[in-house]
Amino acid sequence: MSDRRRRFEAQALPHLDAAYNLARRLARPPLDADDIVQEAMLRAFRAFDTFRGDNMKPWLLSIVRNCHLTAFGRTRAKLEAPLPADAELNLGDRGLIVDDPDPEASVIHTQQGRQLNAIIDRLPAEFREVLVLREMEDMSYRDIAQVTGAPIGTVMSRLARARALLRQGWIGAGQEAPHAVH
Amino acid sequence: MPCTETLRTQEYFDGELDASASVEVERHLETCGDCATLLSDLEATRRLIREQASYHRADAPLRRRITENLRREDGDRPGVGRFVGANLRFLSGAASGSAATAMAAALVMFALVPPPASPLVGDVMNAHLRSMMSDHLVDVVSSDRHTVKPWFAGHTDVSPPAVDFAEQGYKLVGGRADYVDGRRAAVVVYRHGAHVINVFAWARDGETLPASASRNGYRFVFWRQGNLDFGAVSDTGRDELLTLARLVQKASGP
Repeated sequence: MSDRRRRFEAQALPHLDAAYNLARRLARPPLDADDIVQEAMLRAFRAFDTFRGDNMKPWLLSIVRNCHLTAFGRTRAKLEAPLPADAELNLGDRGLIVDDPDPEASVIHTQQGRQLNAIIDRLPAEFREVLVLREMEDMSYRDIAQVTGAPIGTVMSRLARARALLRQGWIGAGQEAPHAVH
Repeated sequence: MPCTETLRTQEYFDGELDASASVEVERHLETCGDCATLLSDLEATRRLIREQASYHRADAPLRRRITENLRREDGDRPGVGRFVGANLRFLSGAASGSAATAMAAALVMFALVPPPASPLVGDVMNAHLRSMMSDHLVDVVSSDRHTVKPWFAGHTDVSPPAVDFAEQGYKLVGGRADYVDGRRAAVVVYRHGAHVINVFAWARDGETLPASASRNGYRFVFWRQGNLDFGAVSDTGRDELLTLARLVQKASGP
């Protein structure tokens, strides 16, 4: 193994779950989080020489985010093209399989958990991403700004909006208002 | 009218403020009902997400694909230079002329000039590394050709020779079923000193074989014989690998 790859793996692989979780929260069918993360890791490895600093997480997650945007742009371009005949439509496994093939599907989620996941996934992308990075990844405003390319002030206001929307959605879904434990 | 300090309260909640700014917010919270409510909402929302929302982790197959992608990318990086260099050294060795090197020249003949980044090299290397790392070096442990060869017949599509060359320094360790470039392959495993040598064999399908190559400290020799394609890989020196390749060739008959 080359020294370059050894260093890259040592710094990048610890953030693979974070990369995958972000990709899962961003990607909508037909986009696939697996593909996005694989592409992102390759791009990161190719650009590794340009990485400076000792915290790779925001750098890596910004690449994941960009890969998603690129893939998203491609599907949009495709959607605007004339629709192919049914036979050419690539429904793939994902189109036909109703159940989530994710191994997590085997873990029984509570009704509340499913509802919360659905509310998060319905948030507009710019709110969803800051929420995921702050609440699931525990990242600082500065790191979130690096991932999303937005100024810190924008990160703060989006985060406030995302939290308010989540709370509204939760109460609107008939759930008891979340309460803090003291 | 809502309080103008709500973003400040959020910063406080998120641990973004220094000590003196935090004290100011705490003082504000004592008198501002809006911000006190906001703070407790923020705490509740965080708790809800962290307790109930799914965190999607990269599963083992995805991790494997990623490390294999990186391995492949890494292997391809040196590009053409390494291949050319390896071939030139190889050819100059073969040109020194003896019965043994005539065999080596025959190996070169089979090694038609490949695309520089032949996927076979990467695949054979990955399969070799997998076998070294996963405690799955051999499916059938035996130094007896009469055990290994019949095992292949039952477990793989091809049945290459599995001869012990202990006298020549290549001890037969056993056999394994594996995949190369999506094809089922039989692997004969040898030990040469401290080195493990994997000799892959698969049904030939007309694909151009790569030249013998060197990548990341591993050596590769490919050859074609009868209806089989062979690829040998190890971290031994090139000459040691060639010697084994010649022995296997000879054992396979003309």
